[in-house]
Amino acid sequence: MSRLPKRNSPGITRRGFLIGMTAVGISFGFPRHLMAAMDPASPDGKVLPSEGELYEPSLWYSIDTAGKIKVNIMRSEMGQHVGTAIARILADELEADWDDVEIIHVDSDPRWGYMVTGGSWSISQSWPVYRQAGAAGRTALIEAAAKKWGITAKECEAKNGKIISSKGELSYGELVSLGLTRQFTEEELKTLPLKANEDLKLVGQQVTSLDVANKTNGKTIYGIDAKVDGMVYANPILPPTRYGSKVATFDDSAAKAVKGYQKTIVLDDASGSVPGWLMVIASSFIAAQKASKLVKVTWDAGETANVSEANIIDHGKKLLSDSSKGSILDTGNTKTEPVFEGASSSISHEYITSTVLHAQMEPVNALVFKNPDGVWEVHSGCQWQSLTLPVLATALGEDVANIVIRTYMLGGGFGRRLNGDYTIPAALTSKALGGKPVKMVLMRPQDMLFDSARSASVQQLKMAFDDKKSVTAMEHHATAGWPTQVLAPGFMPKGVNDEPYDPFAIAGADHWYSVGAQKVRAISNDLAMATFRPGWLRSVGPGWTGWAVESFMDEAAHHAGKDPVQFRLDMLIAEGRNAGTTPVAEGGAARQAVVLKKAAEMIGWGSEQPENTGLGIASTFGQERDMPTWVSCAVQVQVNKSNGLVDVKKLVVVIDAGIIVDPNGAEAQCQGAALWGLSMALYEGTELRDGQYKDTNFDTYTPLRLGQTPEVKIEFIASKMPPSGLGEPAVTAVAPAIANAIYQAVGVRLRKIPMKPSELKSALDKA
Amino acid sequence: MLKRIVYGVSGAVIVGLGLFSFYAWNSSIDPIAPPVNADYPPQVIEQGKILAAAGYCSTCHTTPGGEAYAGNYEMHTEFGTIYSSNITPDVETGIGGWSEAAFNRAMRTGVSRDGHHLLPAFPFEHFNKMSDDDIGAIYAYIMTSIPAVNQVKKENGIPFPLNIRWLQAGWKLLFADTQNFEINDSKSEQWNRGAYLAEGVAHCGACHTPRNVLGGEKYDQMYQGAAIDGWIAPSLTSTSTSPIPWRAQDFYEYLTTGNSPYHGSAAGPMAPVMHKGLSALPKSDVEAISYYFADHSGAKESDDPAANSNLQTAIAAQHIQTDLRIDEGARLYATACQACHYSSDELVKGRPLLTLGSATHLDQPTNLVNVILDGVRNDQGISGVVMPGFRDALSDQDISAIAAYLRQAAGKSAWPELQQKVIEIRNQPRFEQ
Amino acid sequence: MAKFILNGESMTADVESDTPLLWVIRDELDMTGTKFGCGIGTCGACTVHVGGRATRSCITPVSSVEGAEITTIEGLSEKDDHPLQISWKNLQVPQCGYCQSGQIMQAAALLKDIPKPSDKDIDAVMGGNLCRCMTYVRIRSAIHEAANAIEGEQL
Repeated sequence: MSRLPKRNSPGITRRGFLIGMTAVGISFGFPRHLMAAMDPASPDGKVLPSEGELYEPSLWYSIDTAGKIKVNIMRSEMGQHVGTAIARILADELEADWDDVEIIHVDSDPRWGYMVTGGSWSISQSWPVYRQAGAAGRTALIEAAAKKWGITAKECEAKNGKIISSKGELSYGELVSLGLTRQFTEEELKTLPLKANEDLKLVGQQVTSLDVANKTNGKTIYGIDAKVDGMVYANPILPPTRYGSKVATFDDSAAKAVKGYQKTIVLDDASGSVPGWLMVIASSFIAAQKASKLVKVTWDAGETANVSEANIIDHGKKLLSDSSKGSILDTGNTKTEPVFEGASSSISHEYITSTVLHAQMEPVNALVFKNPDGVWEVHSGCQWQSLTLPVLATALGEDVANIVIRTYMLGGGFGRRLNGDYTIPAALTSKALGGKPVKMVLMRPQDMLFDSARSASVQQLKMAFDDKKSVTAMEHHATAGWPTQVLAPGFMPKGVNDEPYDPFAIAGADHWYSVGAQKVRAISNDLAMATFRPGWLRSVGPGWTGWAVESFMDEAAHHAGKDPVQFRLDMLIAEGRNAGTTPVAEGGAARQAVVLKKAAEMIGWGSEQPENTGLGIASTFGQERDMPTWVSCAVQVQVNKSNGLVDVKKLVVVIDAGIIVDPNGAEAQCQGAALWGLSMALYEGTELRDGQYKDTNFDTYTPLRLGQTPEVKIEFIASKMPPSGLGEPAVTAVAPAIANAIYQAVGVRLRKIPMKPSELKSALDKA
Repeated sequence: MLKRIVYGVSGAVIVGLGLFSFYAWNSSIDPIAPPVNADYPPQVIEQGKILAAAGYCSTCHTTPGGEAYAGNYEMHTEFGTIYSSNITPDVETGIGGWSEAAFNRAMRTGVSRDGHHLLPAFPFEHFNKMSDDDIGAIYAYIMTSIPAVNQVKKENGIPFPLNIRWLQAGWKLLFADTQNFEINDSKSEQWNRGAYLAEGVAHCGACHTPRNVLGGEKYDQMYQGAAIDGWIAPSLTSTSTSPIPWRAQDFYEYLTTGNSPYHGSAAGPMAPVMHKGLSALPKSDVEAISYYFADHSGAKESDDPAANSNLQTAIAAQHIQTDLRIDEGARLYATACQACHYSSDELVKGRPLLTLGSATHLDQPTNLVNVILDGVRNDQGISGVVMPGFRDALSDQDISAIAAYLRQAAGKSAWPELQQKVIEIRNQPRFEQ
Repeated sequence: MAKFILNGESMTADVESDTPLLWVIRDELDMTGTKFGCGIGTCGACTVHVGGRATRSCITPVSSVEGAEITTIEGLSEKDDHPLQISWKNLQVPQCGYCQSGQIMQAAALLKDIPKPSDKDIDAVMGGNLCRCMTYVRIRSAIHEAANAIEGEQL
């Protein structure tokens, strides 16, 4: 399976480097807080002016006569410091002086190719592109210097922003002043020599990320801060169901008493993003919010108005019980039935995960208007511009070419902003007002109710053993609401039975353990799909398939009477389809074995533990088989038997993600991801009640807080392999490691997350 | 200060009506032309200004945002809504035509210039403790320094027969303390100064002394605490439920800064008492009041709160926090409150330790819930420091969970029917100032 | 007309008296460093100082702060060099950064009141500030680093 736009879609690797670029990234003279492109290091995000003529060796950067290098970043910044990491890749290959490097987060102009920030892909996908781009600039600068000096290119060396030879040295700025025009075709780019990975100097070194300083003084501009003269504020009124509700009547007479209230409109949304919504328009945010509470609305509610979490789980179980349903993944030998029939023993267990909300700190928002050129401008934080643009086009009845998304800094992504549905109500309201600027900010409860939650899931796993308790076959049946089905069905591959499946709702089940015959079956939970809009949430499918696989492996090891670490190692054999393919997945299961062993060593696997204390371990490959990030998590937990509380004492995560471009940023990503994993294991989760998420604010929705944070140790395996991704993978192994540790501590197996104290307590009481 | 109406109802009726009418009758005092500045020495006017502040005259005689002393301040009482009088020197609608004698009679006996009985929301029985000079000074200040405002008093919403004015006379006969202030020779001069101010112009007992069913102050339970304006005016005596007894220096700190680290902040109706009232008095007068009340509370100046085991218990209690995953109140407290209340081992002024605070230890949750609902404004508690209000943020269930958690952490028995109380407190008229 | 002192300057804003301070600062006075998170005082993104104390501005009506002195992240230091801002940069605490104004303002109030906070103090006082990127490990370290730096200056 292949994740998003790489080979088969117009991804960045297919872009040529001949497109000239002028004035890109220069702010268009709008007032403060309104940006065409952003430099997260400059005050208020404004892009600094360049000096003199620019030389643009590729689409991805320019060099000015002062030697300043502006690197174009089409990935969105949401905490990964992605611009810094990508610019480091480029600057290293270019032999630039890091102090000369600036980064620019660009708008959604088609020249940048397919724009998405997610899947932990940014570094892995940018790696070859920006290295080639850097090599192009280095080659052109060397050629120009050689020509100036009348010597051969081989006699010149690029170093730290200068070309050096026996003739002296020329700075990049000086060379650009000579009027460089050299361009490269895509074919030429592929043949350019790259530095050996061992020779990289910036990559792998500590650096202060360029976006950090402004995030300590309030100067970073997020979507919620976007402003334009003459804008009005809109606050929505949400219907009782996500789909199918129709406004019957509304009465805004009480709202008219609110100073600044203008009017209430019912949205007519051709894109189907926000059916049954009303928008309350006022001259200030607070007036719109106040007025929206006073408008009385009646709806004809959609059919899912009574659906509960239990309904969705029960429906999932019913779906799984029908073996004709779903898509079967290509896992080699999928004929498991005869093996199970002939097995000397087998085990089967069911795992459940609850609905999880993104609850990113910045509530979704958008500012939309039609500019004097007739172009619709959408100012907002966005992770998937190329997916959101066509939806905007449908809603507005406009050509995609006539819409531009100007992406601000994101106050949290975590997958919420992959789904750009929150731009639609603002766009429709602006359209209803003739293109007038409309700023919509959702209140927290609105943001939560409108979330694209991680769907609840049901998974049933089976394993067959021979008489020596060796594994001979495995099945994994999983059902959940499928985000890709509703938001990007074009990205759904087909299984061996020709049925489409959502890779982001099953990946992880197709693990790297050699288990003999292996069947992985994915089913879309249509009741979930009808009740809410499932979304991609940090670590997507592997965030919950990993929970099942790695809990189950522990159970299987105990069934087989083997040490859980050794049990896994015995099956991590880098052969056949588990050998891994170049470049990123090379090494395959053998690399997973390394991280597993390291985590076991770090936690003191096998050591004597105090009473009610246990160690647990789990190992995954992060996100997908074609871009594996090898992960192992080990924890020490202590269980309070009197109340069922689990205290995580130590949390260790070992990761092999190939070359680590930005070690500090990588560690931060893994810390954050591991704590997300902890949060979803023990602290957060909601449920559907009456067709909506039960929890709508932080008084009852309870993600991990500082005082609940254990010591987290992140260890990277040194590697010269090309980089994979880091934003998500550490999420995947934490919950099963905790469940496994609880089992070791008190002999009770929990098969549902979040693992609530009340449930552990009642399980302990029964045991 | 007194917003609660205190009414004689049946008490008046049982008195023989014939005799009583005679008793109840008061003559009208002729109107005069308003006096002018020159009639009074500046120091008398200044003294009047201080005393008017210390008596919180403007608090009850001014609507929020309205003209000073022009009346019509709305008071919600068990008996109906009433409005205060216009006491600006406006001849037509205020007291511009009142002579000093008429003013003195009103202050001492609650009888208006024209002879009708004023409602006992006006705490004349306290003002009666004041000297003629002090009453005269207030008169001089009002007549010369307050701009005349022509504003007609709104009709009180008091139903028949409670609106029969002369019935008030019966109430006065039954309940009013008609004694003038007398020096207690067994006490020090400072004590007597404090008593004169507290019992007189500052009318502390009007709120802090419990009342009988007909609203008369129970003088045998002086300062033992009472409900007032939707709040609890706590006991100032040895019956106080505060874990740390109030010393003179605690009263002084509280009255001058709006907060005592060992007890809490002045919120609700108490806030203007110190911010708009007692702050006008000279330091020595506030010290005298503090000294007077310390005598009632029984705490000695030499007591060391730091050595009081209740303090250590309260500090320790906040750390015996049940895990946030299983105690909703503890979790909400940690989430919404602790960022400001700290729960550290050191007391930080302006960061009240809630396991110690008076509000947590009262028999009723009223004050704690009021503060959670509406916070503490800049002109309440410590100047410059505010607490947000959670009225529109947290549900009744959330607020009762927090209150229950604090109560339990403080080692006190649970407040019964807490969530219902929260709903009632949320729905009662808000104290506006 | 609301009046208060913001980062040392007298400010007036023509708003309804029940308008939360947060929106007066952000929308009327155009200082957007203070963020909106939950609107009910449970996430800390909107934390400012009123009279030097950390205060949740999203549930503080502007009428409550009449005449008070308010400091936002923009006014915490003149050159973005408050010891916490320095340690925050040293340790690269922020990820998405959205909650960090609130985190820093909360921590600044903490250090003012408790110059050498224990882990327990940090747990208690910072517990109301959510960070969805989960930068908690670094927040804790950065507070200790800043506390040490302040102590060092005073020696």
